Amino acid sequence: MRCYIERVCRQSDVISDVKQLIPDAGLRRRMSRVVKSAVATGVECVGGVERIEALDAIVTATGWGCLADSERFLRNVIVDKEQLLNPTPFIQSTFNTVGGQIALLKHNHCYNVTYVNRSHSFEDALLDVLLRIADAQSENVLLGAFDEQTPSQQRIMERMGLFRRCQCGEGAVFALVTAKPTERSVAQVSGIEFLAESISKEQVAKRYGVTAEEELMYNRYAEYGLYPTASAQVFAEAVERIQQGVERVVVYNEYLGDSPTIIELKCIG
Amino acid sequence: MGIVVTGVGLVSALGVGVEQNLASIRQGVSGIKSKPEYLRTTNEVPVGELSMSNEELHQRLSISPGEHLSRTALLAILAVREALEDAQVDLTRRVGLISSTSVAGMDLTEHFFEDFIEDESAGRLRDVRMHDCAATTQAIMRYCGIKGYSTTISTACSSGANAVIMGAKLLKHGIVDCVVVGGSDALSAFTLNGFKSLMILDQSPCRPFDATRAGLNLGEGAGYLVMQREEEAMKWYCRLAGSANRNDAYHQTASSVEGDGAYLAMAEALASAGLSPEDVDYINVHGTGTMNNDAAESAAMLRLFADAVPAFSSTKAFTGHTLAAAGGVEAVLSVMALHRGILYPNMNFREPIEPYGLVPVVEFTQGRDLRCVVSNSFGFGGNCSSLVFTR
Repeated sequence: MRCYIERVCRQSDVISDVKQLIPDAGLRRRMSRVVKSAVATGVECVGGVERIEALDAIVTATGWGCLADSERFLRNVIVDKEQLLNPTPFIQSTFNTVGGQIALLKHNHCYNVTYVNRSHSFEDALLDVLLRIADAQSENVLLGAFDEQTPSQQRIMERMGLFRRCQCGEGAVFALVTAKPTERSVAQVSGIEFLAESISKEQVAKRYGVTAEEELMYNRYAEYGLYPTASAQVFAEAVERIQQGVERVVVYNEYLGDSPTIIELKCIG
Repeated sequence: MGIVVTGVGLVSALGVGVEQNLASIRQGVSGIKSKPEYLRTTNEVPVGELSMSNEELHQRLSISPGEHLSRTALLAILAVREALEDAQVDLTRRVGLISSTSVAGMDLTEHFFEDFIEDESAGRLRDVRMHDCAATTQAIMRYCGIKGYSTTISTACSSGANAVIMGAKLLKHGIVDCVVVGGSDALSAFTLNGFKSLMILDQSPCRPFDATRAGLNLGEGAGYLVMQREEEAMKWYCRLAGSANRNDAYHQTASSVEGDGAYLAMAEALASAGLSPEDVDYINVHGTGTMNNDAAESAAMLRLFADAVPAFSSTKAFTGHTLAAAGGVEAVLSVMALHRGILYPNMNFREPIEPYGLVPVVEFTQGRDLRCVVSNSFGFGGNCSSLVFTR
């Protein structure tokens, strides 16, 4: 299984005006912070609204989903005693909101799915993309991962003792993935593994025959703050390394108590 | 390579177990009660609620109440255990799990939040431990002995069907030898109030595909299938012959007038199975009972089948709309319809919706010669998925 990366875009890479990326003012206004930033990142990654039309799959990943809207609606249910509730945060709280809104921007009827599997969400979404490409069901896919932090969730995680070693994080990362290499391809994904047990850095290096330090990214997710799809940030960094000339990068992630995953990326050709 | 269904498990407002659910439908007894009995809410609206408390569910599963599992997980474990036993799955093989949910541990989070919003150091942390969707999947793995690849999908009310689609891909590519697929959702004040705020909750028992329909009744449940590669299965209920996931791309919560997503999902699912519309013997429709869904789904069926719309019915007047679980619950009902030649009645139907004029099945019949059954699941975000089962 193999796929090619044309472009990777982080939330911080969005340079276009959000009004151009999400032209529908009504849609934009109803979007929560995470939905707006993730949709904008996705559209920037594709190369603008017009390019959404050409996608034949939109696959998103989120560990926590639209937390702020979920919390807002839940708060209203409790405080307003289940009376006269504004439906907007409820509508926008579903996990597939970002994928659905991207499709909606250009009325794209293609395959659209959302993985919500804690720290494996991004890897599971990538696996689905690889399987669809292997089955010749897709050629041009938008793959994305997003999560947001909220003050309540930070307080809860703090009470759970999860921040003793690292900070909370959030972010959105999208990748434009193709079945075949194109002149714009910057890297390829050549393998993905889901392991049952954790293995050491040395074992990963041996398993993949890695000798150079820059070819292995071992448990780097926490550098982007503690959040379930932080591994997508490491993936983006791995793509950047390949662009800078490293021939191959192996990414190993083992988030909190979850089982480990490995993604192997290579240069084109 | 063929994918076959070798086991089924089902829990809904109709009761625990596939046979209990089928018996209730055969007797014409709905699981919809006039108001919630166990869910903490002031809303006195009809719901499809399983008549068992969380304590009773823990007890029935022989899980210590101290484990404090969410209701979504408890319902899921009941259905998955039934499906695994039904298929006599060898858990030492590579058994995978693709589960789906939209509510996840919200039933417990609601308890936590009542205290937390008063005082941020209050609220029992064990009530938020199961908040995320993956927590349900991990609880199923732990209490059902599943150790292979697992993931969780959430595409609102089409989730369960998308779990079936992903499971089939994993089997085809040899990533698993056997896969449990489906979904689970418990009732929660969050979703009940959500649909209330959208003004699509019927104050009476829902009437899918009826001209006087006035909304949905929320339900809860879990439905899971065990699927295997045909050449490795000893016996099976039916084949998963085709499937499709398409997006309506019309509105975040409403369906397009012409039912674009529903039409594309059904048409592509049949094409992927190498079948034509005239091969379909029965459709278990999404049929929520809302003005919008049933009109859009009618339009989609007329586009695809023209004047030869096959026998169809919605089973949601029996179970309520079980959200992410609906794709799983109705996949189980579709598999049993095909296996036993059952056509389920569309309860509470009186007169057809104009201008479509479609009349669903109204009588329970069994022993019919069914060769192809389609199951539809549509959701927020425009997600539309269809599954095609054949003998």
